[in-house]
Amino acid sequence: MLVKDAQTIWNTLRGIICVYKPVGVRCIQVRNAIITKICSELNEMKCRPPIGRVEIEGETTGNLTVKVLPNLADHVNVVGPRYQPEDVKCSWANYLGTDTSGVLLLGIRDATKTAKYIRENYPIRTYRVSGILGSATDTAFKDGKVVERTTWKHIKYIHVESVISSMQAAHQRKMFEICGVDMHSQLAYDLATKGPIRPANSKIPVIYGIKCVHFESPNFTVEIHCINENEQYLKILIHEIGMKVKSSAHCTSIQCIRHSCFTLDDTLLRKHWTLQEVITNMEHCHRVMKENNFIIHQKAQHYNKWVILDENSLSYK
Amino acid sequence: MANFRKLIGLLESDGKRLYATIKRKFPVNTEETSKLPVFDYGVSDKSYNRVFVWGHTKTGALGIPYVKSSESYDSIKNFLRPKRLGFGEKNKVKHATCGFGFTLFHTVNDDSKTLYGTGLNTDSQIGYHEVKKDHPLEIIFYPKPISLPIKYSENFKIHKISAGRAHSLVLSNVGLFAFGNNAYGQCGRPSIQDEDYIKSNYIHFIKNLGGKQIIDIECGQDHSLALTEDGSVYSCGWGADGQTGLGHFNNCSSFSKVMGDISKEKIVKLSSRCDFVMALNDKGEVFGWGNTEYGQITLPGGIQQICKPTYIEMLKPLGKIKDIAAGGSSCIVLNEDRQVFSWGFGILGFGPNVQQSTKPAKIPETLFGKNEFQPNNVVEKIQCGVSHYFAITNLGDLYSWGRNRNGCLGLGNESDQYFPLKVCLGGIVKNVHCGIDHSVAVCKPFI
Repeated sequence: MLVKDAQTIWNTLRGIICVYKPVGVRCIQVRNAIITKICSELNEMKCRPPIGRVEIEGETTGNLTVKVLPNLADHVNVVGPRYQPEDVKCSWANYLGTDTSGVLLLGIRDATKTAKYIRENYPIRTYRVSGILGSATDTAFKDGKVVERTTWKHIKYIHVESVISSMQAAHQRKMFEICGVDMHSQLAYDLATKGPIRPANSKIPVIYGIKCVHFESPNFTVEIHCINENEQYLKILIHEIGMKVKSSAHCTSIQCIRHSCFTLDDTLLRKHWTLQEVITNMEHCHRVMKENNFIIHQKAQHYNKWVILDENSLSYK
Repeated sequence: MANFRKLIGLLESDGKRLYATIKRKFPVNTEETSKLPVFDYGVSDKSYNRVFVWGHTKTGALGIPYVKSSESYDSIKNFLRPKRLGFGEKNKVKHATCGFGFTLFHTVNDDSKTLYGTGLNTDSQIGYHEVKKDHPLEIIFYPKPISLPIKYSENFKIHKISAGRAHSLVLSNVGLFAFGNNAYGQCGRPSIQDEDYIKSNYIHFIKNLGGKQIIDIECGQDHSLALTEDGSVYSCGWGADGQTGLGHFNNCSSFSKVMGDISKEKIVKLSSRCDFVMALNDKGEVFGWGNTEYGQITLPGGIQQICKPTYIEMLKPLGKIKDIAAGGSSCIVLNEDRQVFSWGFGILGFGPNVQQSTKPAKIPETLFGKNEFQPNNVVEKIQCGVSHYFAITNLGDLYSWGRNRNGCLGLGNESDQYFPLKVCLGGIVKNVHCGIDHSVAVCKPFI
């Protein structure tokens, strides 16, 4: 690193970073790991010296000498390292469960606000969820206890595809059902012709697109574009697909491959969680967000608490 | 008391766990997995079809017996959502058709019973069913076999069934059977003064028309249309609005050849639900005749009835037409690019502000589920009732819009739908049939 001064680095540490959350750790652990790393590396650099302590010496009747000595109360050995984990504010824009890996956006220091804006903007996330046919577990994930075993050799790609396409169409209809717009108004028609719409504030998961990207019986992978989802919902979805194709299935892996305009290519792997890489990634994310302005500010029209999806945010690779 | 406290403690601790992940006392024993039996849920038979019904229940046309000891006839509610028909699970239903308050099913069972009917039977349109001698049933709540006057053999096959207001046509490989109301000659036989249709057990049989085999049939409200193998159209029945297309406004009691613009065309499809008829030829051109007072065909001089088939020229810019559906006051067509166009009067699918259109206008494809996530989703088939419409996409989704009489749209409510909305069904829709206030969908299972 060219800059040796920790203060300068600290002042630039304001922005969104995009990390790859490994499977098996929680979001808070990722956050803590990054914060600890940032702090420890900053502390190794040239830090601020202890503040001065003015010392006036001499006889009160004679000439006094004024000295500025280092204040021992502000010494690193007394107050601890200059940069402490509690000082770094950090929050995530999307929560990923323990069994999920993939794109995780973290807002550091002032950018926690940005993270909040992104979170409240309901961007579409894309997941790649793998499942295995033939057995159902009590947790709907591979770590659970197998509760049922079934045959799976009769299932072909077309069966999975037909089930999930009907799921997708049902979800598109649900968009209107949970929408506050009166279905008998011209406004509802205008909204419907514009394509997918999304809730401005809703807890109900909505699937926009779902397709089977890999099928090699008994393993299969589906790609899901959705909003308001959570880990358990995706697991149960795989379980349901299994039931609909007259078999049973459980989830083996969940990967978030896309969060609005951030893809896996933008992410920072665990081995790169260093101060230098974090700053480089922060600059990269800043550039990406500048190009895709809709992630924070939408040009969307507001209709009765509903927002039309911005055209740009729909396009995906 | 101590036990009770223990129990409360257990309940509370369990309640906390409800939202947490499953906590195990012991690690999962993987050896136990191999001891589990392997279930085989099986695959549906290839000829199996799932049948869903919805709409008005009181006529019995849905074929779901309502009778419960605690339920009275007045308290029966309409089925606002598609309901799986139990009859379809016990019999292999191949086709179905809806009349005005009754339904016919064609089954391919191993026995001689190939045709079933349920619903209103005021004109013996679903055959003669009696519980005691000379007391035929006027209403049937569960599909009952209709006996056709033919000796059953393996070769006997039903090609198509169609139903009108109170008459039914059954097309088989031996010929055409017509039964039910014949007040206007819609069964293809002279009407008899004061005929008691309910007690008549007569099924009219037509072997062929003009020496040509019949390949398709279509029932309007009180008229019948038949298509022969050479592509010519025959019609009979009520002609007060010119819906028979025979060049006059009188009733016709025997199948007569329709001339006009279609006399030299090879017609491949006919559609008529009320008193307007549309015909599609092999070149993708559409012809129409009948009642056009809602602007289905704009005629010079403000003529509202047309008794001769007329080429609908305004459809020419749409390209080759693939499918047609003529309702009571409006029509929809599907062109080769799989775009749906509608015109006429009523709910056309453009929101509540558009009530009338004399020119065909395109219903946006996004309404049929085409978007960035499903770009190859296109409409495959269209079908219409008197004032409501259905579209089936290539992925087997069903979309409906129009007047929601007694919940015939299957959207879960009884209010009108002003643009196409998906009907939630547990199957891949292959065909849908509309009555006046009920609908039947024949679907394939997912696997």
